[in-house]
Amino acid sequence: MDFLAEGFRRALALLFSADAEVYGIALLTLKIGLLATLVACGLGIPAGFALATKSFWGRRAALTVVNTALAFPTVVIGLLLYGLLSRRGPLGGLEWLYTWQAIVVGDVLLAFPIAAALAAAAVQGVDPRIRRTAETLGAGRWRTAWTVAREARFALAAVITTAFGHVVAEIGSAMTVGGNIRGQTRTLTTAVALYTSQGDFGLALALGLILLLLALLVNVALQALQGRGGVHHA
Amino acid sequence: MLELVGVVHRYERRVVLDIERFQVPPGSRVAIVGPNGSGKSTLLRLLALLERPTQGEVRLDGAVVTGSGSARRRVTLVEQRPVLFRGTVRENMEFGLRLRGDGRTEMNRVVDNVAGLLGITALLERRRHELSDGEVQRVAVARALAVEPDVLLLDEPTSSADRAAAQTLYRALAEERARRPLAICLASHQLEEAYRWADDVRALADGKLAPVTPETLFRVELPAGGAAGDAGLKHVCVGSIEVAVTTDKTGPAILAVPPTDIFVSREPLASSARNVFSGRVTRLAHQRAGVVHVTADVGVELVAVITEEAVRDLGLVPGGPVVFSFKASAVRVF
Repeated sequence: MDFLAEGFRRALALLFSADAEVYGIALLTLKIGLLATLVACGLGIPAGFALATKSFWGRRAALTVVNTALAFPTVVIGLLLYGLLSRRGPLGGLEWLYTWQAIVVGDVLLAFPIAAALAAAAVQGVDPRIRRTAETLGAGRWRTAWTVAREARFALAAVITTAFGHVVAEIGSAMTVGGNIRGQTRTLTTAVALYTSQGDFGLALALGLILLLLALLVNVALQALQGRGGVHHA
Repeated sequence: MLELVGVVHRYERRVVLDIERFQVPPGSRVAIVGPNGSGKSTLLRLLALLERPTQGEVRLDGAVVTGSGSARRRVTLVEQRPVLFRGTVRENMEFGLRLRGDGRTEMNRVVDNVAGLLGITALLERRRHELSDGEVQRVAVARALAVEPDVLLLDEPTSSADRAAAQTLYRALAEERARRPLAICLASHQLEEAYRWADDVRALADGKLAPVTPETLFRVELPAGGAAGDAGLKHVCVGSIEVAVTTDKTGPAILAVPPTDIFVSREPLASSARNVFSGRVTRLAHQRAGVVHVTADVGVELVAVITEEAVRDLGLVPGGPVVFSFKASAVRVF
């Protein structure tokens, strides 16, 4: 118990000491997480809309693929991306291996199917009469989609938070393509893994607490954007 | 003019609608009657351009139209169980106006006018969970009227309304039609509603336009008082014949003679039927499952439904003699 208590004491001290390294890692994690979530949801939510509302050849197969991709191991994503970005790989010319950009790409690959599959489920959960009503009142494709999105706003907000949660908590891909380089590609999760293995439990715990705080902040921000979250009022 | 031409519509492989031509002329009041599952809602969704017919065309003023483009803004559908968007009633009514690009002043003017017309002014700031089903239905009609469509399609518009609400709705539609040219096409399973309100009633059965119902319905003037000793029995002029009916109603009414309640024979039958009319067969329409619709001119055109076997036994042929008999109590009065 002393060991745990000591860990928490050190973690809190680090949090309030404005340690440059700790906050540098936290900021990089936030930057990577937000950017990857933005790109993944920017692509995945429209894809989910299309999967839920359009009938096209291969739709069922596409749904199966994104649903299967939900369970794709992040370390395998990292491995595949490593192959693509390594010097001899087809994208080696970008020279992104062991950069934060590579971590973003890995996170986007991880979060895209999450965004697409959950958005498709969210849109399918909206009463189909909402869409028909918007159309019959003269709404075009985009306005109709926006109207449906408004009705599914809580579910779509959950899509974004889930995607962000997966991205910031992911370690396999970040470690493989980021390399955990101090000051460059060290994120909260890779740092936690490193410091734990080095026996610096207090530092690892401090970084873990920051990770939790980040997730909490993003959730609060999204709830504020939604308005009266959780109340089943229209 | 909004019309369906050569339309066959399928869900999976099942044909749900098969209509050669269906027209809603400008400014008309058309009612589609038929039992549940007859295809009324599908027909309205095709007219509203919400679904594309599997075969055939939807035309607006002669031009083939699809779901995209400006045509949709000229045709609006209110579904049987309408839904409101998130937000207040006012925001719902502003939905289509925003799409039209109206400014705040114009939106307020239109919303207040239409809300007044439908008696929902007190509901404008309420949200959907604060409304009853009947109120939602009225708001949905108001929301549709606000965008001033050329054609308003209504699917069972009074299914959740009480008598007073239904009267308010029809009065509002009449006032709107008096103000500007508006065609209304209404689907209902209630003959009474359809005949009380529409100029043109068409029957739909199993996805096909059926000639039966409209031809067996007649607008009449019911006299006050019945025959001596026969309380409620009245004789009413329908075309060149006099039909015995049992009713306490007086004044304008609709008579319906259910085709299945008409006995068909070659000679007048000695029976309790108060209505016995001789005439000639004008059409024999063979339907599925061995059923035949026998149309006869007996002074007015009536349709009876009998079996193919009965047609053979009676030797009925177009132009041949026939007698239609039905009881006074079989005649429905609306």
